[in-house]
Amino acid sequence: MILFVVIVVGVTYGTWKTLTLPEGSPRHLSGPAWRDLVVFGVAQGSVYGLIALGYTMVYGVLRMINFAHGEVFMCGAFASFFVAGTLDSSGFLNRNPVGSIVILILVGMLVSAGVAVLVERVAYRPLRNAPRLVPLITAIGASLFLQNSVRGFFGVQTQGYPDIDVLDGRWTILGIPILKAQVLMIAAAVVGMVGLTLFVARTRTGKSMRAVAEDKEIASLMGIDVDKVIVKTFAIGGMLAGVAGVLYALVFSVVHPLMGFVPGIKAFTAAVLGGIGSITGAALGGLILGILESVGPSLFLNGSHVPSPNQLRDVVAFTILVLVLIFRPGGILGAGGPEKV
Amino acid sequence: MSGRTLAGTAVKAGLLGGLAVVYVAAVGMIGSFVALNLIGEQVTMSRVLMALPAFLAGYLVARPRVQGGVVQRAATGVAVLAGTGAGVLTGAVTAAGLALAKVPSPDTVRGIFERVTPALFHTISFGQSVPTAALLLMLAGGALGGVGALLQMLPETYRRPINVALMCTLLMALLQRLIPTILIQLALKFGSASPREWSNWLYSSRFSGLTVIGSVVVFAASVAVALLWANQGPKLRARAGSLAGNRRPFVTGGAAVAILALLFVLPILSGSVVSLVLGTVGIFLLMGLGLNIVVGYAGLLDLGYVAFFAVGAYMMGVLTATGDSGSSLHPQLPFLVAIPLVMLAAAFTGVLIGAPVLRLRGDYLAIVTLGFGEIARVLAVSDLLKKYLGGPLGLYHIPQHFLGVGFNDPEKFFYLVTAFVLLALYVSWRLARSRIGRAWTAMREDEQVAEAMGISTVKYKLLAFSMGAAIGCLSGALFAVQIGSLEPLGFNIIVSITALAVIILGGMGSIPGVIVGALVLIGIPNLLDEFQAYRLLIYGGVLVGIMILRPQGLVPNTRRARELLEEEIEQDQWGKGTGGPSIDATVAVGGAGE
Repeated sequence: MILFVVIVVGVTYGTWKTLTLPEGSPRHLSGPAWRDLVVFGVAQGSVYGLIALGYTMVYGVLRMINFAHGEVFMCGAFASFFVAGTLDSSGFLNRNPVGSIVILILVGMLVSAGVAVLVERVAYRPLRNAPRLVPLITAIGASLFLQNSVRGFFGVQTQGYPDIDVLDGRWTILGIPILKAQVLMIAAAVVGMVGLTLFVARTRTGKSMRAVAEDKEIASLMGIDVDKVIVKTFAIGGMLAGVAGVLYALVFSVVHPLMGFVPGIKAFTAAVLGGIGSITGAALGGLILGILESVGPSLFLNGSHVPSPNQLRDVVAFTILVLVLIFRPGGILGAGGPEKV
Repeated sequence: MSGRTLAGTAVKAGLLGGLAVVYVAAVGMIGSFVALNLIGEQVTMSRVLMALPAFLAGYLVARPRVQGGVVQRAATGVAVLAGTGAGVLTGAVTAAGLALAKVPSPDTVRGIFERVTPALFHTISFGQSVPTAALLLMLAGGALGGVGALLQMLPETYRRPINVALMCTLLMALLQRLIPTILIQLALKFGSASPREWSNWLYSSRFSGLTVIGSVVVFAASVAVALLWANQGPKLRARAGSLAGNRRPFVTGGAAVAILALLFVLPILSGSVVSLVLGTVGIFLLMGLGLNIVVGYAGLLDLGYVAFFAVGAYMMGVLTATGDSGSSLHPQLPFLVAIPLVMLAAAFTGVLIGAPVLRLRGDYLAIVTLGFGEIARVLAVSDLLKKYLGGPLGLYHIPQHFLGVGFNDPEKFFYLVTAFVLLALYVSWRLARSRIGRAWTAMREDEQVAEAMGISTVKYKLLAFSMGAAIGCLSGALFAVQIGSLEPLGFNIIVSITALAVIILGGMGSIPGVIVGALVLIGIPNLLDEFQAYRLLIYGGVLVGIMILRPQGLVPNTRRARELLEEEIEQDQWGKGTGGPSIDATVAVGGAGE
């Protein structure tokens, strides 16, 4: 509790100091600069949200953190990277950009879904009823294994993702200039979330997922093949992570074997922040986390005499994670809402 | 067992085996281990990696299986046939992978899989054309699979010794940079005129692996010892158990003296390269012992253990370093004064990290501690604390010379680490048998019941965190002494996971297990450079593999093993009690807010 008060006071004080900085101060940020930070945060938050959906679904069904989900995201990005390379050298990439983006996203989705299902089959299924610590440890192992397999297969170096010309530059939406790739990111996140919500609410598979999330045994007594539903859950989570991976690679123009780790943890933070098990929560959590970590360091720290606040971006994210888990483990949207998947 | 299921199993095993070979090839292992001779000049590590899947496929296919409560064993001939089939299939899949990679132009594949080189093709195809190679691979695979199945069909009394001997031979072959040095040094100490002869019969100085004769001797000796142990072991153990009470201290004391003497001569005999490796093993052993208290004893999965390692290292650096260390603070305390301060600070950090997460359990606890670990790393690199911790440049000029001894000398450093390791071993051992240890066990097995029994879980959790931290920080402090400088990027999650892998391999809560884990996972990759690149891959594999195949670890703690296996028995009893405990074990999601 004391910790909570200290942090609230600290953040308020820091914000006040920053906002009252004199105009000419080198650390003063102009209106557009703040706006850009927010836009960047929203785009980043969309990616977190997309990845967070996978965490949330798996957690809802299996009550476990799929630690390897960040690597699923990375695998999708890598797969699309090689396809993009081929398309680029054949000239197809810029001749038919829309088609290429669709192909890239499809490849990313397929590969990520495949990896997610494989991980489930090898590392989680044999341990379905083991003590809770056990699947968590295999999840960490699987994450490390995937990371280093990719390193072994494709090399440790950071590889440049080919540029797609149509995605260069900005669109001005509602008077706000946004990078085209970021628009794509946000759009994909919105589509993914709406689609998933509908899927879970309307389809038969969605219904069985909800049933399994509620009670595995009763669901199996009702004639639901629990293993199959779990595989589907992993596949869908993997697909969304694949989309996120491809878009992330497009925006940052690089792929790297370790690229999945930090976004993975942050997406998990987003899922927890929004309320794990809830789809809307994942979206909300992603958005809040993205904006906070983009704006936060400057907002809270610029006014105080902290050198290079942007280095502390990850600290902001992890502090949020720790605080949410301690003070409100149910997340913003509260504990155990009806839409638990 | 019906023939059809056996055939199905054989096909599955063969396919998986083949995929395993293709995987190790693509990930680069086969290519990297070409020059690592194990036995003679023909049996290289690459060849072993290629052969192992077929052998294991055969071995596993022939395994008796339980169907409807009845153990089903195939007839020897049938089993060997199935094993051979699985092996042939493994070879065929390998050959298919080879052909697939060669057919487009080799460059296309290499553009994606960078380790798929012409040299790799040469290794896998034995330098032959694809069809010949396919034939050879299938023949070899079939033979290996058949041998594997045959081994499985041997009666238990022979199978076990042979398995043990195979492992011993492999281990001896992998220790090719340790044992010959020791033998030669021994020879020198005994005044031998031609010291190389002491080791040359066993390890070749030309290709550095075991000689053929040496491997036969090792194999035969291990079989003999294993057979003897199987016959006489129980009797011996019974006699030791029935030893009159007043004579027991002599036996244990004798063993302790022998171990101490061994530890004393080890660095002298093995030379400075190996001593350096042993020093590193010691550092991770300390870390493993600390983490073992938190994870193994108290059952709290801490993934941010690197935070304590970093606290130890940085505290040591800041407290003892001289003026030009990169930190603005330089009290220049002597080592012996610094050590208790470091431990106090780490214990305090442990409480600081532990206090807010007391109410969290299981996976949430893991992820929060992981968050703390990452925060520690980011803070160490940041400009915020640059004045004190040196920022991205880290700290340097950490004294390695104190108490009149220069610990930059690996042999001396080994003694320093050993002293601390022995201390930590003693503390861990006593703790496990103390009131505190029993409280941890109770808490680990069932928190609610423990609380109901009057155990203050708050107190004991904090105690676990702070004790684990105090031991873990020693590893950091010694690391600072060993290297003499600190680089902040090294303090990442990998350190935490390495420590976790060390205690998982040996078995959670088992002190001998931590020792075995550190020796295998830290010692072997550091002794054989070829393994360094695949260290993390192997750790990942170990974490998954051990948890699935043998969750209690290689050298299990009896009580912990029972806990881990109990739940497995439970999972077989469908429809009873599976839902209840697992829901109880989730985080108390409802109790939000203070």
